Amino acid sequence: MTTATTAPASRPAPTGGSPARRRRSLLQRRQARTAWLLALPFLLLFAAFTAGPVFASLLMSFTDMRSTDVRTPFAVDLAAFDNYTALFQDALFRKVAVNTAIFVLVGVPLTMVLALAAAVGLNNITRLRAFFRLGYYLPVVTSIVAVSVVWRFLLQPDTGPINQLLGAVGIGGPDWLGDPSLALPSIIAMAAWRNLGTLMVIFLAGLQTVPRELLEAAEVDGAGRWQRFRHVTLPLLRPTLLFGAVITGIGYLQFFEEPFVMTNGGPLNATRSVSYYIYDQFSFGNYGYAAAASYVLFVAIVVLTAIQFRVLRPKA
Amino acid sequence: MSRRHISAATALAAATALALSACGRDDDAGGGGNGNAAPSADITDGPATGTIEVWAMGTEGEALGDFLADFEEANPDATVEVTPVPWEGAHDRIATAIAAGETPDVSLIGTTWMGEFAQTGGLEPTPTDLFDENDFFPGPWASTVVDGTSYGVPWYVETRALFYRTDLAEAAGLEPPQTWDDLKAFAQGLQQAGAQQGIYLQPGQSGSWQTFMPFAWQNGATLTDGDAYTLDSPEMTEALEYYTSYFTEGLSQDTVLQPGALEQMFADGSIGSFISGPWHIGLVRDAGATDTFDVVPLPGKDQAPGTSFVGGGNLAVFTDSDNKDGAWKLIQYLTETEVQQRWYETATGLPSRPEAWESGVLTEDPVVAVFGEQLESTEAPPAVPTWEQVASVIDGDIEAAVRGAMSPADAVADMQSQASSIGTGLQ
Repeated sequence: MTTATTAPASRPAPTGGSPARRRRSLLQRRQARTAWLLALPFLLLFAAFTAGPVFASLLMSFTDMRSTDVRTPFAVDLAAFDNYTALFQDALFRKVAVNTAIFVLVGVPLTMVLALAAAVGLNNITRLRAFFRLGYYLPVVTSIVAVSVVWRFLLQPDTGPINQLLGAVGIGGPDWLGDPSLALPSIIAMAAWRNLGTLMVIFLAGLQTVPRELLEAAEVDGAGRWQRFRHVTLPLLRPTLLFGAVITGIGYLQFFEEPFVMTNGGPLNATRSVSYYIYDQFSFGNYGYAAAASYVLFVAIVVLTAIQFRVLRPKA
Repeated sequence: MSRRHISAATALAAATALALSACGRDDDAGGGGNGNAAPSADITDGPATGTIEVWAMGTEGEALGDFLADFEEANPDATVEVTPVPWEGAHDRIATAIAAGETPDVSLIGTTWMGEFAQTGGLEPTPTDLFDENDFFPGPWASTVVDGTSYGVPWYVETRALFYRTDLAEAAGLEPPQTWDDLKAFAQGLQQAGAQQGIYLQPGQSGSWQTFMPFAWQNGATLTDGDAYTLDSPEMTEALEYYTSYFTEGLSQDTVLQPGALEQMFADGSIGSFISGPWHIGLVRDAGATDTFDVVPLPGKDQAPGTSFVGGGNLAVFTDSDNKDGAWKLIQYLTETEVQQRWYETATGLPSRPEAWESGVLTEDPVVAVFGEQLESTEAPPAVPTWEQVASVIDGDIEAAVRGAMSPADAVADMQSQASSIGTGLQ
């Protein structure tokens, strides 16, 4: 609250004491009050609909609450860390954790590389740029359910266009979503295609902030195309890359709709994610256990984001 | 952190500790309507009065409002307000309503949810002087009974029978199967007569237990003994071995069909037979197989009819209802024989009373009548709060066995170990 407002200037000075000082503190107090007043609606909503449930779910994760306890939510037993230990002993949870890790570790770099390539390509053309930008961005604004349904059709083993194309050149295409070893890679490919639009737009904006003079200076010094990209453009893009990595990482750690619509988590749980597992546990009525799983995911997101900040932070 | 923040945090922590130490489960079983038995004394003799709020899902919810005009005419002081609820959000909506104490008076409740909702204490026990267990099919009635007490009345039912292509069966010179051996030969015969797969059995994923469990029941396996899950039995293993043999012998595909594909492939003859419920009669006819299919009760292990799965919808009254008297009277009306027959004509819901099958419309369509025959030998899944979770475990292990990732014996052992650690939830 350092910005001054104009209103108090016209007010009469308070009588007595050291006027200037007093007026200032009064002014500050009034400003602070106004600020709180303005922030109040948000704070109330935040407390009621965000902080409250977050805190309640944290408490819930340390109890044995089930859906059958909803009428008497306080008549549950404390479970300390039982939910958390049970979680890591559950073979299915370990499986979905590995699935999610693969999805993030393969999906995030893949999406970023594709998005960067598209952005660099678009940055170098002037004609049809708007058209391609729209084309790459369209999947982002399309409903994920519609996209998943279309991809499920594309990936059909016998009648799907992808396998028919492969068949035309003499390759017998596999059952993409029915084969436990191919289902997750298929979904990663779809997610990368769908999400590269957002990153591409962000990277394109980043690329346009790279000063032309720097690139020209490097060119004069004899740097080739790749060297200019590697040693001038990329370092300047670091903050943009960091932002892209963080938002994509957070999104991918919580991937859910793709397997929900396309595979139901199958085959053999090959595409079940941590979010899907949490969803299942909530619908089974294991509220305490599901809350514990949610907090494990939350910690994973914090850790991943912290690592990305360390690796990609701009070098001073 | 300033001092003020620290003291605030301490106060919060102390309050939390206090709140948590003040809670804890009662020693006796929680919820479950303890000590509120015999509510029948509350039901009066006269007509229903006041407003009766009803939640109903799917097509039932859409059709019920108009259907109840006769009831309102017979009970002029009563008004029925029907709210259609989509099946997708229904479970959570009822759970939330029970938690908030803001329930309707009556709701349609999926049979597999009974255990969970009854355990919350949100459902009224069924007044036994108003409803006689013997008027209903035994399987559906059992789905209302949680821990020895009934918490609702079966309204409509559905069960599974065997659909098959009559033209292929004739070409192969086969009679409808009576035993497990017949069924295997039947599937092989249909395949030789031109079908790509002799029978489609769901190879895993959500709901595959509904296709598999009839085989286990036919073989004498049980899901619970009333207190604990009893999945790990030689009968269960044998049934799973029999089930998986259809996949290893190439009689059924081991990947799940997309929605809509089954009836299409059945209509064009690439699937020779499958096991499903009465809704498939219409779907199959719409897909173009009008005169080329028939439905028969499931074969048993040694003789027909074999046990099938029974599901459907129960009607229950909530403990938070303001008009329990009117609510039970409405349910009584909806489960009358004639009303059930009319309801079948309106929304094709199959009656839960055997009497309703003995006359009228239900005897006219021979294909539908088969389901009435099948209903005499059915089993319902146990009405315990954790059933949905255990069902998903069974689904997963069926898939693992079908795909050869686990032997049937290991899959059954895994079902049991997971189900044991989940528990029945009845405490």
